[in-house]
Amino acid sequence: MIEHLLDLTVSAFLLAGLYATMAYGLGLIYGVLRVVNLNHGGMIMAGAYAAWWAHDQFGLDPYLSIPIILVLAFLVGVLTYAGLVRRLPRGAAGGVQSLLLLFGVWLILRNAAYLVFSGNDQTVLTSYSTKALPFLGAQISVNRLAVFGVALVTLGALHLFLTRTYVGKAIRAVAQNPESCTLAGVPVQRIYMLTFGLGTALASLAGALATGLYAFNPGFGATELLKSFVVVVLGGLGSVAGTAVAALILALVENFSILVIPSYLTSAVGFVLLVLVLVLRPGGLFGQRVLG
Amino acid sequence: MTALLEVRGVDAGYGDVQVLFGVSLQVREGEIVTLLGSNGAGKTTTLRCICGLISPRKGEVLFHGESLAAVAPDHRAGLGIALVPEGRELWPQLTVRENLELGAYHRRARRSLSKNLDRVQALFPRLLERKSQLAGSLSGGEQQMCAIARALMSDPKLLLLDEPSLGLAPIVVDQMFEAVRQLHREGMTLLLVEQNLVAALEIATRGYVVETGRVRLEGEAAALRSDPGIRAAYLGI
Repeated sequence: MIEHLLDLTVSAFLLAGLYATMAYGLGLIYGVLRVVNLNHGGMIMAGAYAAWWAHDQFGLDPYLSIPIILVLAFLVGVLTYAGLVRRLPRGAAGGVQSLLLLFGVWLILRNAAYLVFSGNDQTVLTSYSTKALPFLGAQISVNRLAVFGVALVTLGALHLFLTRTYVGKAIRAVAQNPESCTLAGVPVQRIYMLTFGLGTALASLAGALATGLYAFNPGFGATELLKSFVVVVLGGLGSVAGTAVAALILALVENFSILVIPSYLTSAVGFVLLVLVLVLRPGGLFGQRVLG
Repeated sequence: MTALLEVRGVDAGYGDVQVLFGVSLQVREGEIVTLLGSNGAGKTTTLRCICGLISPRKGEVLFHGESLAAVAPDHRAGLGIALVPEGRELWPQLTVRENLELGAYHRRARRSLSKNLDRVQALFPRLLERKSQLAGSLSGGEQQMCAIARALMSDPKLLLLDEPSLGLAPIVVDQMFEAVRQLHREGMTLLLVEQNLVAALEIATRGYVVETGRVRLEGEAAALRSDPGIRAAYLGI
C-alpha cells in the first residue's frame, strides 16, 4: 500500500510537468492579450502529430524534433496573431469574436488532421518506450522522467526570460498596462505577436511531449485544453511558480482519485476541482496577480 | 522661431463625443506652459492627441515644426515626447527599478540608461531607497515620483505632465512642484496640466485656459494671474 501511494505521488509530480507546460502557454496569452486561445487544443494536437510524423517518416526521436517543432509552432502563432487575431475590430480581441475565431481555427486544424492522418489512434514507439528505472522501490518510466525534465527546463527558461531580459519585462509590462508601454516606446503590437507565438509554441511542445505518454488522434487536445483551464484558474496568470503548484495539485488529485473512483472518471476530477475553485476562490489560489 | 510643439486647430474626441474644438497652442523650447481649466474641459484629451493615443479629426500636431500625423504613438517617445499620465499608470507588479528601465525602452534612451538612472535618482532620492519594491506598493506621492522618473528615463525634450498634484498631500504637492522647477532649471521644456491654478501659474512661463474644448484665454502667466475674469471664475477671489 505504501509503495502504491509512493508510486502515485511520484507519477503525479512527473505528470505535473506536462500539465504546467500545457497550461502556461494558455495563461501567458490570456494574461498579456486578454484573449482565450481556443486553438490551444489544436496546437497540442498538431505538436503530437508533428513529433509522430517526424518519427514515422525519418525515424527522428521525438525529443530531438522538439526544437524544430517549437520554431514552426512559434511561426504558426505569429501568423495566427498577425493574420487573424490582430484583424479583429478594435476592442473585440478579448471578446466573443476571438473565441469564435480561434475555435474555428481549431476545427479547421482538427478536420485537416482527420483528412490527412485518419481518425486512427497513433502512438510513438521508441527503443526506450517501455524502459523504467527503479526509484525508492517504485518503477519510473524513462519517458515520464524525460517529459518532466524537458518541462522543468522549459519553465525555468521562461521564468528567466520573463524576469531577467528586457523584452521579457516588456511582456509583463504590456500585461499590466499596455498604454503606458506605448508611451514608453514599447511596440505593443510586436509584443502581442511575440507572446502569441510563445504561447502557441508551448502548446505544441506539450503535444510533442504527450506522445511519449499517450496514444492520440485528431481529437486529442480537447481534454488537455480543459485541464489547462483548470491549471490557469487555479494558479493564476503567468506566474511560473503558481502554474507549477496548480499543475501539481491537479495531477495529485487526479492520480489519487483512482483510489476512490473508477479510473474512467479521473478526467472529470479536474472539472470538479475547477468548479470548486470558481465557487470558493474565484481569484485563484494566489490572488489576481498578472505576470507579477 | 518655430515652437518645439505646436497644436494647430485640433478637433478630437471619443466615438460620437467631440471633446476638442479647434484647439491651438504652442510650447517654445525652455518654457513651462500650463494648460488650465475645469474638469472635462479637454486638457487630458489635448495631451493624448500630442502623444498619439488618439488621432485628431481635424488640425495637426507639430513637433520641431514637423507634423506628427504619420508618426505612430510608440515612436513618439523616440522623438522626445514623454507623458506622465493622470493617475500615474505605473506597472504595479514590476519593481520601481524595472519601471524605470522600461521607461527607457526606445533605442536612444536605452543607450544612455545608466546616466539617466543616476539623474532621476538624484532628482528623487526616495526612488533609490525603494528600487526593489513593487511600484504598486508605493505611496501616492512616491508613485507620482516614479511616474515622472519613468517619463524622464525616455530622455524627453518635451515633458507633458497631467495633473501631477492630483490626490497628493499638500507637502508632497510642494515637493512635486519643486521637482518641476528643478527640471525647468536644467533646461527641460514642460507642458503642465493642472487644476491647482495658483501653483501652476506661479511656476509657468505662459498659460492657456481651456473651456468646453476651446482655448478661451492665453497669455503670460503673470498676466493671467492678475486677470480679473480668471480670478473670479477659477480662484474664487
